[in-house]
Amino acid sequence: MAKGKKGSSGGAEGPSGDNIRLAEVGQSLFVKAAGVGVAALAVSAFLGAGENDGWSRFSHSYLVAFAWVMTICAGGIWWITIQNIVNSHWSTVIRRVGELIATNAPVLALLALPVVLPLIMGKPILYKWADSSLMTGDLAHKLGYLNTKFFSIRFVFYFGFWTWLSYYLLNKSLGQDKESKEAAAKTVVTMRRVAGPAMIVFALVVTFCSIDLIMTLEPQWFSTMFGVYYFASCVLAINSSLALSLMWLQSKGRLSASVTVHHFHDLGKMVFAFTIFWAYVGFSQFMLQWYANIPEETLWWKERFANSWGTYSWVLLFGHFVIPFFGLLSRWVKRNKKALAFWCIWQLVMIYVDMYWLVMPTVSDEVPFKLIDLTCWIGVLALFIAGIAYRAKNLDLLAKNDPRLPDSLAFENI
Amino acid sequence: MSDEHKKSSATPSEAPLHGLLAEYDTPPELLHAAKKIRDAGFTKWDTYSPFAVHGIDEAMGIKMTVLPWFTLCAGLTGLATAITLQWWTNAYDYPWIISGKPFWSIPANVPIMFELTVLLSAITTLVGMLMLNNLPLPSHPLDQIRRFARVTDDKFFLMIQASDPKFDEVDTRQLLETTHPVAIEAVKEDRVTEDRLPSGLVYGLIIVAVASVVPFALAAKARYTKSSSTRIHIIQDMDSQPKYKAQRENPFFADNRADRPAIEGTVAVGDARDDDHFYKGKVAGVWARTFPSQITLNEATMERGRQRFGIYCTPCHGQIGQGDGMVAKRADQLAQGTWVPPSNITQDNLRQQPVGELFNSITNGVRNMPAYGPQIKTEDRWAIIMYVRALQRSRSGSLNDLPPDARASLK
Repeated sequence: MAKGKKGSSGGAEGPSGDNIRLAEVGQSLFVKAAGVGVAALAVSAFLGAGENDGWSRFSHSYLVAFAWVMTICAGGIWWITIQNIVNSHWSTVIRRVGELIATNAPVLALLALPVVLPLIMGKPILYKWADSSLMTGDLAHKLGYLNTKFFSIRFVFYFGFWTWLSYYLLNKSLGQDKESKEAAAKTVVTMRRVAGPAMIVFALVVTFCSIDLIMTLEPQWFSTMFGVYYFASCVLAINSSLALSLMWLQSKGRLSASVTVHHFHDLGKMVFAFTIFWAYVGFSQFMLQWYANIPEETLWWKERFANSWGTYSWVLLFGHFVIPFFGLLSRWVKRNKKALAFWCIWQLVMIYVDMYWLVMPTVSDEVPFKLIDLTCWIGVLALFIAGIAYRAKNLDLLAKNDPRLPDSLAFENI
Repeated sequence: MSDEHKKSSATPSEAPLHGLLAEYDTPPELLHAAKKIRDAGFTKWDTYSPFAVHGIDEAMGIKMTVLPWFTLCAGLTGLATAITLQWWTNAYDYPWIISGKPFWSIPANVPIMFELTVLLSAITTLVGMLMLNNLPLPSHPLDQIRRFARVTDDKFFLMIQASDPKFDEVDTRQLLETTHPVAIEAVKEDRVTEDRLPSGLVYGLIIVAVASVVPFALAAKARYTKSSSTRIHIIQDMDSQPKYKAQRENPFFADNRADRPAIEGTVAVGDARDDDHFYKGKVAGVWARTFPSQITLNEATMERGRQRFGIYCTPCHGQIGQGDGMVAKRADQLAQGTWVPPSNITQDNLRQQPVGELFNSITNGVRNMPAYGPQIKTEDRWAIIMYVRALQRSRSGSLNDLPPDARASLK
């Protein structure tokens, strides 16, 4: 395959003659997204204050939106790490976009503050265990883990680790762009050596982070599958987001020739595979507790099968698994941009529906959907996008010096 | 190709033409040639390469395989089989309650549905792939060509079959020459190599197929025949243990009985139940109105009674004895008409019943309530009554029972 041989103007031209800089498009996206994000969160705060319930409704809406956006970022960190571990050749043209999404970890940490700060200050708005005096009876023995001091340490570690790992991989990859052929090949090995052990830590971080932020909303309930359940959404979210991001970039004339139907086909396969994986893990979590029928485990399910939540659970099962399973089954769907975009958006919405299902039954007997849920969702997503656009606007969207790039450009899918 | 025909043919060179083989050095040359042959409208031809060549499907004009449809149908068949099988066995033919779940319990069936779907899909995909590729192929005319051996190494080939309607030995050779092959070779039909599966393999497969029916045949036989012989004891020392069980014969004793009845005129230690108040709830032949002296009326006894009540009584009578326990609720739901609802133990007639009579009801049962005497120790039965009395008192309290300040707050 042809390599970038023309005198590229400021590195903005990729190997296939593609435009690989967002530049002014990134700047305008940043301005728009940041504006929408701030406005939507201001409306959310206004609506939340109007509830007059000590910010409970606002906090829960916000947590759903945050948990949703975290699936994309944590998924991104997982995705770039696994590409390095397995020395993936096919994904090289799209890896930089993954890296740019993953390095939003510090933005994610800032977005976490409305959830985390009240908790650290000991206000039990979301988490009962923020106030140790509420943890009586059987719950008292969980205070060794569920206390604000230990949580603060964990929180710093989670986001510190994610920030470090994502920036390490991005910076190595950016450095590679300017290196000689031999040095670039060595960098690939260095990144791979770090990615392996980092993946073990990542697995622990995503498990405990999801347990801390979502599972402990009901401190009496526990599931050892919970981390995997959340992880399934992370992988689904990043593959959907990558496909959509690339489609958007191509619509703006970026990476037009480098990223082909074959790359979209593979992303589509991953969306399909993790649609099944989500159902597999979700059902495994459900079936064991359903079979054992022990009160401290079934109480969580009882809330989710009662009243309108019962219908909601069916919507989740069919909307998140059965319908997209058949929707994504065919080969042509994964190779048709419009069809794939439809299912990627569908699954991202379903991940939100799933997060809503995890969080909201703790405070409401009925499905409580309101405008504030939508504004929180838009606000958090827009700020998240603004963070990516701000970093991405002046960086190359393609790892142009990676020795695996020619393979990736010539990649063909059956 | 009949056997006689085969044997009669003398040498391979006299065999009819099978096709024309062209050899190329690189994949792009093969792709280029394939496009030409495709455009010329040939249908019976194929390309051969040491590895999968990208774009060859398109260059050869190969349509998308139908294999995915086989897989989908097999998967749905597996799913339907799993659902039917589990419904038939668990809910219809032999309904059996497992873990208190409904007879037909979908969540419990899902793992089997999943597994049969995957199993049938996978096997069908494999077998379907083999069939669509005409595999296994015991012999092929190309096996006779020496240069073709390098197809597994570094050479690329294209062959047009003589049976193709467009095939003409001269014209087709000229067409192939325009694709600039390294060489063109005529391939003759193979009259020497056996083109059937080895007979050993065929017989082996038949034996395996027949043997696999045997377990089903044995199961079917067992289902429709009766036998008077004892079952096969695989684990001998577990099935026949050197000990005597109740109601069995034992030649050691004169009366040949394994169980030893109590000797006349004796009472086992702890079996002398001579206190009617404590054991029968009666004083001088009428129901006792007081607790027997063996029971200490304190908080510990009350707590014991609360626990025992929770274990033995709440399933039917409910947490506070209103006759609304889980069993009663379920029986109401089923509405089978044979159910005598449990009493509300705080109702007036039971509140006025002497403690001795309540004790008797627990010990020996009443209406369809079974006797709990064998299950609950005597002291515990009295403790339960103490707790029942507390429940009855709590349900018949009046305003005057409250302390004055609490009374004021209700006004």
